[in-house]
Amino acid sequence: MELFLMVACMGMFGLGITCMAFGAATGPRRDEAEPATAPEPVKAEIPARFFAKGGDVPITIHAKVPMEVLMFQIENHVRLEQAAAESFIEFPTAEMLHSRTMSPLIQ
Amino acid sequence: MSSGHPDLLKGLSPEEAERTLALGTRRTIRSGASLFHLGDAADCIYLIDRGRIKLTLPMHVMGRDQEVMVEERTPGQTVGWSALIPPYRFTLTATAQLDTELIAISRQALSDYLAGSPECGYKVTMNLATVIGSRLQLFQTMWLREMQRNVELRCA
Repeated sequence: MELFLMVACMGMFGLGITCMAFGAATGPRRDEAEPATAPEPVKAEIPARFFAKGGDVPITIHAKVPMEVLMFQIENHVRLEQAAAESFIEFPTAEMLHSRTMSPLIQ
Repeated sequence: MSSGHPDLLKGLSPEEAERTLALGTRRTIRSGASLFHLGDAADCIYLIDRGRIKLTLPMHVMGRDQEVMVEERTPGQTVGWSALIPPYRFTLTATAQLDTELIAISRQALSDYLAGSPECGYKVTMNLATVIGSRLQLFQTMWLREMQRNVELRCA
């Protein structure tokens, strides 16, 4: 009887050690347990593009711009891009092809 | 026409140009009124005599459908050459920015006349190729510039 109780106690003790080891191996790390303190990633503001659909491109830069102002900016952008394209057609060089304009939509 | 030969009739003699223009009918479009809409059947080509035409395409802006200007046409220039190119559907919307006068020439009348006057037909066809080629070059360049910006954004 004493031998049986001794074996049972040692078995329970071994099981406890095994559970603690398993918990330590599979539990969350301390540095992962505090996600609230990690800084939120900053969303990059990507300039709107004339030919691109809205889709996954953030349009936060225009969120506070009135529609009339935005439409004016788009028309201005088209005129500037046409002027740049006409300049390239007149003097076709790689530099002229990718010359910058003053359009606020691509700043 | 109030200011010389329009671009479609360059190289024609004054008599040839006069006969070609006589095929058309004069139309007046009030400022803000539409000349044609995207997808409409294109039966006439238009030579602008006075005023200004804005060519637009629909674009989704801030949750709303807006007409965005892609080109402006002024006196002497041609709009609506889709009337001469299958499938004869307008690919843009044209709206008068000012009170505008145009000469509308139907495809059928122009084709019949040019078929009976091959020399005149050759010149008009070359002028049309110039108008279309210029548009192609312009938009090809604009498209490439936009592609370049997309690549830069992707690689940033």
